[in-house]
Amino acid sequence: MSAPPLKPQHSVEIGPIGSTADATEAAIAADVRNSTRRRKTLLWAARIATLVIIIGGWQLFTSAKIVDPFFWGRPSGIVKQLNDWVQHGTQYGSIWLQIWTTFKEAVLGFVVGVAGGVVVGVLLGQVRFLADVASPYIKVANAIPRIVLGSLFTVALGLGIASKVSLASVLVFFVVFFNAFQGVREVDRNLLNNARVLGASRLAITRHVVVPSALTWIIASLHVAFGMAIIGAIVGEFLGAQKGLGLVIATAQNNFNPNGVFAAMFIIAVLALTAEGLIALLERRLLSWRPRSQSEVAAA
Amino acid sequence: MASTVAGTVARRAAPIELSGVTKRFVTPSGSRFTALRDVDLTIGAGTFCAVVGPTGCGKSTTLTMVSGLDRPSAGSVRVAGQAVDGITRGTSFMFQADALMPWKTVLANVALGPVFHGVPRKEAHSRARDWVRRVGLAGFEDHHPHQLSGGMRKRVSLAAALINEPSILLMDEPFGALDVQTKAIMSNELLALWEQARPSVIFVTHDLEEAIALADQVVVLTAGPGTVKAVYDIDLPRPRGAVQEIRFEPRFLELHHQIWESLREEVGRAYARTANAEGGRS
Repeated sequence: MSAPPLKPQHSVEIGPIGSTADATEAAIAADVRNSTRRRKTLLWAARIATLVIIIGGWQLFTSAKIVDPFFWGRPSGIVKQLNDWVQHGTQYGSIWLQIWTTFKEAVLGFVVGVAGGVVVGVLLGQVRFLADVASPYIKVANAIPRIVLGSLFTVALGLGIASKVSLASVLVFFVVFFNAFQGVREVDRNLLNNARVLGASRLAITRHVVVPSALTWIIASLHVAFGMAIIGAIVGEFLGAQKGLGLVIATAQNNFNPNGVFAAMFIIAVLALTAEGLIALLERRLLSWRPRSQSEVAAA
Repeated sequence: MASTVAGTVARRAAPIELSGVTKRFVTPSGSRFTALRDVDLTIGAGTFCAVVGPTGCGKSTTLTMVSGLDRPSAGSVRVAGQAVDGITRGTSFMFQADALMPWKTVLANVALGPVFHGVPRKEAHSRARDWVRRVGLAGFEDHHPHQLSGGMRKRVSLAAALINEPSILLMDEPFGALDVQTKAIMSNELLALWEQARPSVIFVTHDLEEAIALADQVVVLTAGPGTVKAVYDIDLPRPRGAVQEIRFEPRFLELHHQIWESLREEVGRAYARTANAEGGRS
């Protein structure tokens, strides 16, 4: 400490940052913006081209009778069918009623299935003994093609909404359950120990540590789960119903009307995409604490 | 009964006694592994005790048993005269890895201790705000842990550990992952905060210099299964001042030399053992 202060042997002179540096900065920024914009334009052009090729090709091949429109339908026919449904309704009432029915069934099934999956998943994830007891049965239940349960539900619960909601919720349940269970199992042990030492009760640990931590997994499963809910509702209607898009599809099939099948399919896709958008919104809200991942940053 | 007794001592430093503590683990493959053997150690109330020893000698295991997260296979652990049964009240633990909830803000993380003890949310948050300020993070209350640097996260952990006014502070290589400069800064802050409330501390570390600079007492454990090899009293005056400078005091060097003699042997043995094990495996 008594030694004389050391002097740096070299020091680099840093010149003042002048207007030339600012100008280069601006040029670089503009360059980056330009290349981003170019990439975006190209991307959208390619996307639109893909659509045109697929739809146009379909229309062209069916017009030229290379592909038989009797079996495979054609885009112009699908549009005509959709227009017809909107103007005159289906034979089971207005098209909006069919959409609303299927949507209601899917959403109810989704809500019931998610609630059940989360509760059971969190419970079994935390209570080791229960998980060990239940594990072989869960494996068996998972191996069964659950869609077949739809037949049972239709017989037992009738042609109304209950049988569809039941089928949808069973399909949703398993997807959400496995994720919730795994999510709970993956909770960081450090966090658990820390909460315990800080004096957290079992309930407080579940609320403050386990559930928030598993939420990443649970929310990831919701995307798949809503698709499952729609499948459950549609298949349920296939098996026996008085209204709904599944019934509309079944009728179109029986009438050898592929355009009707495609048109209903298109409506369902719009439904599913809307729901997907809502789930993504929910995800962003609930997981706002997460750092943005590399791919998200790149996409922004 | 235990809770009322622990409640009265929670605000004061508590002495820690380990007697004849042995800890065995059964590995998933069924073989047994002894982490600690016959550990006898008494840490007086308000003492800052550093535990050093080679890798895998059961340093961290000691902490988990004092905290009540784990219990000894044989022997007893007593805190403030009470045998440890379940989580020891009035204890805070600072882990080597981050133990902050990534989904909670800095403020909510610091407030967890009071919230878990049933303090109303509003009061918990105002106490947390005070602690965030005391560790020098005012203005970062609404940030999430991933937005902070490693050193800042350690400050949050420190605030979260101290807000409960622990009678015992357990630290498991808390600054092990930090760069040297940040580590020195954090050590100074820890000492300053500790001198205000003086809880009993067990500070586990690999770094002998850090141990001597901070502690009143340095315990050297043997290579695993760990047992107490020697206990050294560090008679450097308090307040210690900057840990970067105390390292050059003659008394520090003398102590360092003395303790290192003892520690080196154990480190050498632990290293030889792992080297043999590696050799035997290949």
